[in-house]
Amino acid sequence: MTDSKQATGVAPRSFNWKPLVTNQSSILVFVIFVLAAVFTVYSGGKFWDIAVFNNILTDWGLVVLLAVGQTFVVISGGIDLSVGSTVSLSGVVAGVVMVNWMHLDLSVSNEAAIAPLLLALLICVLTGIAVGLVNAFLVNTVNIVPFIATLATLGGAAGLAIIWSGGMPLQGPNFYGLVNPIVLGGVSLSPFSFIVLVSTITVLIAGLFLHRARFGLYTYAIGSNAFAAKAAGINVKRHLTWVYAVSGALSGLAGMYAYTRLGSGSPSSGAGFELQAIAAVVIGGTSLMGGSGKMVGTLLGAFLLYEVQSGLLMVGMDPNWKQVIVAFMIAGAVGVQGFNFSQRRK
Amino acid sequence: MTGELIYEVKNVSKRYGSVVALDGASLKLHAGEVIGLVGDNGAGKSTLVKVLSGAHKPDGGQIFLDGVERVWESPRGALEAGVETLYQDSSLAAHLTVSENVFLGREKFKSGFLGWLGFLDRKTMIREAQEDLEKVGIAFPSANRPVSQLSGGQRQAVAIGRAVSWASKVIILDEPTNHLGARQAGEVLQVIRAAKAKGLGVIFISHTLPHVLQVTDRIVVLRLGRIVKDTPTSEYNVDTLLGTITGAIQTIKVEGD
Repeated sequence: MTDSKQATGVAPRSFNWKPLVTNQSSILVFVIFVLAAVFTVYSGGKFWDIAVFNNILTDWGLVVLLAVGQTFVVISGGIDLSVGSTVSLSGVVAGVVMVNWMHLDLSVSNEAAIAPLLLALLICVLTGIAVGLVNAFLVNTVNIVPFIATLATLGGAAGLAIIWSGGMPLQGPNFYGLVNPIVLGGVSLSPFSFIVLVSTITVLIAGLFLHRARFGLYTYAIGSNAFAAKAAGINVKRHLTWVYAVSGALSGLAGMYAYTRLGSGSPSSGAGFELQAIAAVVIGGTSLMGGSGKMVGTLLGAFLLYEVQSGLLMVGMDPNWKQVIVAFMIAGAVGVQGFNFSQRRK
Repeated sequence: MTGELIYEVKNVSKRYGSVVALDGASLKLHAGEVIGLVGDNGAGKSTLVKVLSGAHKPDGGQIFLDGVERVWESPRGALEAGVETLYQDSSLAAHLTVSENVFLGREKFKSGFLGWLGFLDRKTMIREAQEDLEKVGIAFPSANRPVSQLSGGQRQAVAIGRAVSWASKVIILDEPTNHLGARQAGEVLQVIRAAKAKGLGVIFISHTLPHVLQVTDRIVVLRLGRIVKDTPTSEYNVDTLLGTITGAIQTIKVEGD
C-alpha cells in the first residue's frame, strides 16, 4: 500500500502539507538525520563513522527481528511480551543441544561450526514457534488477554532458560565471521555483516507479507474489527495462532542472532528486549489499539532507538540515562500518534 | 410474485446462560420475497440474525437451505452457501479500504507463485469492487480509500453493496437504515427492491416501521424470543404494527410447523 490513496477522490487544491508532517515515517527519517548531525557535532565528528554505524546496525539487527514479529501482533490487536525471554530460551536450548548433548565446544569454529550452527538455527526457530503456540493457546483457547498470556510465557520462558542452562552461558561452536562486515571480492560491504543482512532480508520479506499479501490483510482486519473479520468468514483464531507463531519464530531467529554474537546461549541474552521491541513498534507509528501500522515505521523506530543510545554514549552521556531517554521517546511517539488521531477525527 | 422456499428455520432456540434469547422460532423465506423482522429491544432479533448467518449455533432446532438441512459451524459456511449478512453497525473494518472490505474473505490473488504465497491482486480487487458497487446502484467514493474516511451513510452503502453483490440466495440486513438520512435510507430501500427483483430472499430488520411497511411482503413479529405473528404486510399500518410489537394488540401464537 502506498500513500497515493491520499490523492484520489480529492479535488485538486493547494499543496497539502499536513499528511507529510503528520506521517510518522517521514518524521522519523527527519529526526534520524537531525540527531545524526547533532551527535556528529557534539562528539567532535566521532559519531559519523562507518564503525559506529556498524555497531548501531548490529544492535538493530537483533531487536528489529523482535519488532517485526511484534508489529504483526500489535496490528492484530494484541501484544507479545514474551519475545525477550524467547530469545534467551531459544539460545539456551540450542546451547544445551550442542554443548551438553553433542559435546561440542568453542574449539569447533568457523567452517567446522557451520553444520552445528545450522542445527542450532533450526532448534532456535522451533523453540520460538513452540513459545508462540503456547501464547496462541492461552489467547485463543484459554481466552486470556494477550498482555497477561504473554506475561505468563515471559516468566515461564525466562525461568526455563535459567534452569536448563544452570544459570550460566553455554559456550558452544561459533563462526565470528558472521558478525564481521562481509568482504566480497576484496571489497568490504561494511556496515553489512552476514547476520545483519539476514535480519534485513527477513524484515523485507515480512514487510511484503504485511502490506501485499492476504496474511497482512487478515492481520489488519482482525485488529481493526475482529467481529467483522469473523463475519467475513475469516478463521480469526487460526490466523492469530499464525501471528503468534510468526512472532515466536522471529524471536527464535533473534535468539540465534544473539547466540552468534555472543558465541554462547545465555539465559539473560534477551532480558528486557521485549520493551525495546515494543518501543520500536510504537515509535514507528503502529497503534497499540490495533488495525494500523507500517513495517517501515518499525524499521525506522528500531534504528532511531539505537542511534540515540549509541549517540548519547558518543557524546559522553552517562549510560544510565539510556532508559530514561528511551522512555521519553516512547512517550513522545505515542503523543504524536494521539495528535495525528485527533487531527484525523476533526 | 414470490418463488420457491429457499431458507427455513424450524423451532430454533438459543439461550445465553439463564437468558432465553430464542424460544422455538420458526421462519420461512421464499425467493424474491422480502420479509420484515420486527420486535422490541431484547425480543431476539439479533440472536435470530446470528443463527441465520452462522455466527451463533442454535441450541436446538433445524436450518434448511433449498430444502437441505444445514449446520453452520461458522459464518464461512453460510457465506459459501450464498447467505450474506449485514450486521448492525459492525460489518466493516474501518482501517481497511473499501475494496479490501468488499473482498475480505474472498480475495483475488496474483497469478503463479506469488498468488500461491497469498499475494493480492489489488488492482483487480479495486476495479471489481468499484463495478460491483455501481451495479448495486450505490453512489460511492473511490474504492481505494480507507473506510474510516467515509461518512456513516457511505459506510452503510459499502456494507450493503458488499452483501448484495456477493449474495446468491439470501441477504439478511440488520438495521441497514439506521443513522441514515431520508435520501440515503430511500436508496437502501431501492437496493432491497433490486435484490428482490433479482430473486434473492431478503430479511429486513428495522425499528423504522414506515421503512418496513414500504419494502416488505410479509412481517414477522418477535416478542421475548417467540414469533407471535407472521402475516402479509398489507394487513398492517404503522399503528397496528406498533401495537403488535409492543403487545398492546392481542396476538394468537403462530404454531411452529
